[in-house]
Amino acid sequence: MSEVPDNLSYTKDHEWMLVKDDGKVRIGITDHAQDALSDVVFVELPEIGSKFSEGDAMAVAESVKAASDIYAPVSGEIVEVNDKLEESPELINESPYDFGWMVVMIPDNKLNNTLDSKSYRELID
Amino acid sequence: MSLRRTPLSTHHRALGAKMVDFAGWEMPIQYSSIISEHKSVRENVGIFDVSHMGQIFVKGPDSVKFLSYVTTWDMERQKDGDCRYCHILNEKGHIIDDTIVYTIAADEYLLVPNASKINKIVDWLLNNSDDFDVTIKDLSDIYFCLALQGPEAPRLLGQHLNTSVNSFQLKILDDIIVSGTGYTGELGCEIIGPLDKLEFHWEALVDMGAIPIGLGARDTLRLEKGYLLSGQDFKGTESTLETNYAWVIDWDHDFIGREALVSQKQNKYSKLSGILLEDRGVLRPGCSVFYNDNKISELTSGSLSPILKKGIGLAYMDLDIDSKITVEVRGKHLNGRVVRTPFL
Repeated sequence: MSEVPDNLSYTKDHEWMLVKDDGKVRIGITDHAQDALSDVVFVELPEIGSKFSEGDAMAVAESVKAASDIYAPVSGEIVEVNDKLEESPELINESPYDFGWMVVMIPDNKLNNTLDSKSYRELID
Repeated sequence: MSLRRTPLSTHHRALGAKMVDFAGWEMPIQYSSIISEHKSVRENVGIFDVSHMGQIFVKGPDSVKFLSYVTTWDMERQKDGDCRYCHILNEKGHIIDDTIVYTIAADEYLLVPNASKINKIVDWLLNNSDDFDVTIKDLSDIYFCLALQGPEAPRLLGQHLNTSVNSFQLKILDDIIVSGTGYTGELGCEIIGPLDKLEFHWEALVDMGAIPIGLGARDTLRLEKGYLLSGQDFKGTESTLETNYAWVIDWDHDFIGREALVSQKQNKYSKLSGILLEDRGVLRPGCSVFYNDNKISELTSGSLSPILKKGIGLAYMDLDIDSKITVEVRGKHLNGRVVRTPFL
């Protein structure tokens, strides 16, 4: 069974979002997504300062078998990226909700169209 | 058409394998993780259900002459118990399939072609056998094949069957054939026998500690060693010379495709070459290869070497070792160079 923490928001594309006190949003892929991808061996992250609209491909996670686009779950600007993933892409598999986070964005608007943990759990069951 | 299954299908599922369609067979692509399975084979011992592979028996007084004629190797040079990797070519010198030829006896041989080529090879053998006193029997449907690979494989083989095999030698034990062959570059063996014994051998070896390995790791293991993948590195229009496997040709005998190879030898031709990525990235089959900003080729195979942690691939090229090239991966040009295979 995949882990789906209650304190996060989710998208249909299997990304998670953590809204921080300062309004910034930390983003990664879910336990379910990392399991489906299997061993992540390469991650391509966006540049700090780049801007994306909701649904744009903003990053890529590659396993031995396939490359998967990671979509911006919200429109906004990238203000931090997880550099550790360059050396250790496996953090996404080992710790998808913690050490395996991918980017931090300042969203243009409040989050909408997101799923809570209960709805996301229903989606993947 | 529904996919064919080996008798181990339920075992694979119970072990949590992801199953895929491979040449019409439902086969495990991975049980846990391609990377960890790959390392298990390099460092310990893995077991592969490769029962989709073919088993074609050739018997009769003309077996030696016939197999010498339809393969790149002169079987006169084989002794009983020898295994030989070689190619089966058409008149143009193009590879129909690669196979290992097992010399069971002077008048009895076993060929192990790839699953997707069994019918093609059987037809090819039958169509070229008119002048030879041989019988050709395709027993692929009633034989299994297990590969036991890794530094600990000889120990497990000893424990399981109280035997050992040398590299490219075979032994016959009752109803099974054990050979010092494989597709990983590690020590180990392959066991071929009647399908109703598959479960027995699999369960015994897994109980002794052999780790089940899927086709995903089988592909990264063979690519690190520069071994060819039928249907991908050659697709019907490439010659043995072009694949850079000239060592499987015995020029001093007559065989189908020889004339074409002799004339190709006089000319320049692209050879399947190794590409090692210097930038970070994963190579994929089909990625374009550039030299001096000109597209010169496409990768036939590509992946990430789990051991080197670098992108590796194969492409038909006519460049010297160490030439700098780039590979286009999702719109970006990544730096790499031409290297000798094996990569590892």
